Amino acid sequence: MTPLLEARDFSLTIDGRPILKNLSFAVPAGARLSIMGPNGAGKSTLIKCFLRLREGAKTTGEILLNGQSLRVYPRQELARLIGYAPQAGGWIPPYTIRELALLSRYPYPDRSRDQAALTRALELTGLEELANRPLANLSGGERQKAYLAAALAQETPILALDEPTSFLDPRHASELDNLLKDLNLNQKLTIITVTHDLGQPALTGGLALVLRQGTLRYFGEADRLYQDRILEEAFDHPFVYLTHPKDGRVVVLSQ
Amino acid sequence: MSPTWKLLALLLASLVILVLSPFLGADLISFEALSVPGHPEAEVFWALRLPRSAAAFLAGSGLALGGLVFQALFRNPLATPFTLGVASGAALGASLYIWLGTSFLGSLGPLGSALLGAALSMALVYLATRSQGGLSTPVMLLAGVIVNFFFSSLVLFIQYVSSSADSLKITHWLMGSLTGLETARLADLGFIIIVGAVIIRSLATEIDLLVTGEELAASRGVDVKRIKLIIFVVASIMVGAIVSLTGPIGFVGLMVPQACRWVLGWSHRLLTVAVFFGGGAFLALADLLARVILAPAEIPIGVITALAGGPFFLLTLFSIRRQGQLL
Repeated sequence: MTPLLEARDFSLTIDGRPILKNLSFAVPAGARLSIMGPNGAGKSTLIKCFLRLREGAKTTGEILLNGQSLRVYPRQELARLIGYAPQAGGWIPPYTIRELALLSRYPYPDRSRDQAALTRALELTGLEELANRPLANLSGGERQKAYLAAALAQETPILALDEPTSFLDPRHASELDNLLKDLNLNQKLTIITVTHDLGQPALTGGLALVLRQGTLRYFGEADRLYQDRILEEAFDHPFVYLTHPKDGRVVVLSQ
Repeated sequence: MSPTWKLLALLLASLVILVLSPFLGADLISFEALSVPGHPEAEVFWALRLPRSAAAFLAGSGLALGGLVFQALFRNPLATPFTLGVASGAALGASLYIWLGTSFLGSLGPLGSALLGAALSMALVYLATRSQGGLSTPVMLLAGVIVNFFFSSLVLFIQYVSSSADSLKITHWLMGSLTGLETARLADLGFIIIVGAVIIRSLATEIDLLVTGEELAASRGVDVKRIKLIIFVVASIMVGAIVSLTGPIGFVGLMVPQACRWVLGWSHRLLTVAVFFGGGAFLALADLLARVILAPAEIPIGVITALAGGPFFLLTLFSIRRQGQLL
């Protein structure tokens, strides 16, 4: 079966500096993929490459979506296939959550589903009451959820989320994890997240992809991530692996 | 009041100003005079006042729209076609023409020379930005500021080396003026501004998305490079055409869009309409003041808009402090 998203010997260079090197992997439809790695490993760049947000850079190799080169997709069609939520830091757009989510409907010239998509996105993220609040007046965590709501309003089969839980407190992070789990398992969405939480793949299962200085250090089942010193080598740092007393999953601690 | 009602109120106020401004001035023109054939007031109205008010309105609309889209594109309230060098390019072209006359720029005339200068500055900013890869906003702003300073210095140089009569002419041109516009030129200006405004209005959603950030806009399906180029070229042509006809009338592109954002928020579907009419009304009003304050003498309209610009900057500064961000 054709993988949903596939990298074939994909490399990317910016200003002569190699950022991603010879990446090859295949993500099947309905997968849950966690992209991990130390700072500067190229995680965010990789997720942006799935959306063709690095078009100015020099690339070799190919990224394929549904067996076709990403390059052949018109931008709007790509936006109907992959929803994107950026990291919540940096520039804060001067819009309300509702306005931001409605702007995500841009790839759909037919406006008839806009309100339904907006309502659903707000319900799923629990942001109904904050819908008319400007992003500038939200906490970091709320803003992160607002970006997720906007990505959900895109109604795409794939979600690409750049550190969706990094500004969230434990309760909200757990709620968001449950939401993504539900979207993945019950609504069959393919979910790709960049995460700094090394225990995340143990919690969510699915696939893990580990980068170090732009090279692929691991791609495979999340369960195997904690064997063979994969994380130690990628992060150049010792870790301790514990078993969660309640559900038995792996918990990773920095040594 | 909802943004739509605010917009309607603004449109009404703008239309009132547009309709009344040609009747007002050093001498009032009565409505009755217009219906009397050959009445001297009617002659003044049709031949002088109306074309001038129309020119003020069109120039104000175009300058304000140019400011609106550049501010949105660069997410910076100081980014306008003026700060990006278009006006200084036009000023250089006009100054060169005044200094060297037909011997150098042939039959282009002062208008053609100014437009050529504006085009040159646009091309320089564009090429300098492209040479650094893509159309990066900070690079474009920096390139604009550099071109602006360089061309302004050249204008100063030309003023220094030219005769005192030419230097005075250049100074007058730099102050901006709406006097003596020919009807044919006014029709050209109207065509450029209206076509430009329609193009910009049709890109309102794309502009909204660009304000959220270029990557987010691209991820939602906007062809960022193409849209930025269209906006850059359309706004520059509009402003270049205005400046070549009226001289540089500053601050309109800074003040009107910012004021409209305070009132209406950030939907460019509303803002493009509000700024078109608001900018037109603002300059028609400024022109009225220019005509009456020292009547029968006239103050250059650029002086009036610049005088309003100072206090407005202070307001902007306070608003930045209040909102905690630039725009």
